[in-house]
Amino acid sequence: MKADIEAANRELAEARTTGRPCPPLRGRLLAEGDVESAYRVQQLQSRAWQGRGERRVGAKIGLTSRAVQESFGVFQPDFGMLTDAMAVADGAEVAIDRLLQPRVEAEIAFVLGKDLPDPRITTVDLVRAVDHVLPAIEIVDSRIAAWDISIVDTVADNASSGLFVLGTTPRRLADVDLRLCGMVLEHAGEPVSVGAGAACLGNPLHALHWLAGTMARAGDPLRAGDVVLSGALGPMVPVTPGAAYEARISGLGSVRTCFSTEGQ
Amino acid sequence: MIGVDTVGVAAKLGTAADTATAIPQLAAEVGLDVPTAYGVQAALVQRRLDRGERLVGLKMGLTSKAKMAQVGVDEVIWGRLTDAMRVPDGGAVDPAAYIHPRVEPEVAFLLDRLPEPGEPVGDFASAVRAVAPAIELIDSRYADFRFSLPDVIADNTSAAAFVIGPWSPVPTGLDNLGVLLEVDGRVVQVGSTAAILGDPRRALDEGIRLAGRHGVRLQSGWVFLAGAATAAVPLRPGVHVRAVVEKLGAASLRASS
Repeated sequence: MKADIEAANRELAEARTTGRPCPPLRGRLLAEGDVESAYRVQQLQSRAWQGRGERRVGAKIGLTSRAVQESFGVFQPDFGMLTDAMAVADGAEVAIDRLLQPRVEAEIAFVLGKDLPDPRITTVDLVRAVDHVLPAIEIVDSRIAAWDISIVDTVADNASSGLFVLGTTPRRLADVDLRLCGMVLEHAGEPVSVGAGAACLGNPLHALHWLAGTMARAGDPLRAGDVVLSGALGPMVPVTPGAAYEARISGLGSVRTCFSTEGQ
Repeated sequence: MIGVDTVGVAAKLGTAADTATAIPQLAAEVGLDVPTAYGVQAALVQRRLDRGERLVGLKMGLTSKAKMAQVGVDEVIWGRLTDAMRVPDGGAVDPAAYIHPRVEPEVAFLLDRLPEPGEPVGDFASAVRAVAPAIELIDSRYADFRFSLPDVIADNTSAAAFVIGPWSPVPTGLDNLGVLLEVDGRVVQVGSTAAILGDPRRALDEGIRLAGRHGVRLQSGWVFLAGAATAAVPLRPGVHVRAVVEKLGAASLRASS
């Protein structure tokens, strides 16, 4: 089947505007497995956001857990764009009607101190390029009804990104055990998701490595100042309206978010 | 409960373990409730003590919300550890000696000054001398690893063997240390000590409280297995298993083929 990139872009944009999810795009507007066209849909959306004044501030990496990759039948991550309009302050209340079907997950955010233009990047380049790391909560969301997504659905939908919250305690790589750091996401004093750094591709730095290479090859490299959400350290959790969540990552500190009960 | 032959029930479970042969669940048939099930457990462990084994500690079970939900309860359970269950760090176990062995990564406490009966653990630092990464080998004596709550309690909470890694002073952030379970060098489970009741220190309070109900008082020098930080995985012949805990290092065992 021929991809209908314009129509896919239209449906996703409309879902965002109306707050009503659209049916899966796969098999309808995008062929199953046509990831390349899906990224073109994503690009159209990010151009539209930048066209109305949003500023690109970085990227998010998805599909970084082995279990999730297996359930999708794909064996590489995906990525989406982050803009300033998606950033929420630590602890600030999020109006629930900004989102369709939000879920939360805890991640490590890398903040870059250098551009990464070379696709043939090494671990040394990466370690030198990371200025600091922050604890993060990603509020993921899907414009596809009931999160019934395949790889092409999520890629087209900006890797199911929603909003993101960064902690405010920068740490150097030398002070953090990226692979072993424990993660707990708590709601009302109870852990609702637990994990550790290794849940993200074995080490969150591997995810950053993949993204830096991929974006450099695409001629759109990561830049100094970019924030990269590297991928979930534990299972994602559906958001309950009115609820507050706190993520703690060993060695990185904590970050929190809360949601309004009703649209406002 | 009147009329339950705890020694007879314990003999069935003991023979199942000794011969590595699964038995059907028995709580419903013989009418075991939770207190009686702990009586069976005491009789079951007494069989080990009678043949010269020593009590060396306690283990907690169902310490994660997921496992509690699975079994449909909201209370943790505890079992007894003997010296014969301990495998040296890096040592070998024979999977054929068990029915359907599984391994899970844990943290272990080396107990020090314990509070008097009825007192809470006021000061964790004085109650626990050291902590270590650990592997627990569990092996339900029931067919298909399926059981009711009284069943698993009677079966000494599936306790079979354990490995303790190097002891360290209690680190800061014990409530959220990353935990990995590796099989042949590959990570197969990822978790955090936060999976253990939100904070493994709570497991000790629960252990003291629940064991105290049955007249068991934790002793200085005992080992305390606080609970699993991830789901358990089957132990296959010939594999090398390692539990890695942030800040604490690793404990390992090898399964003979």
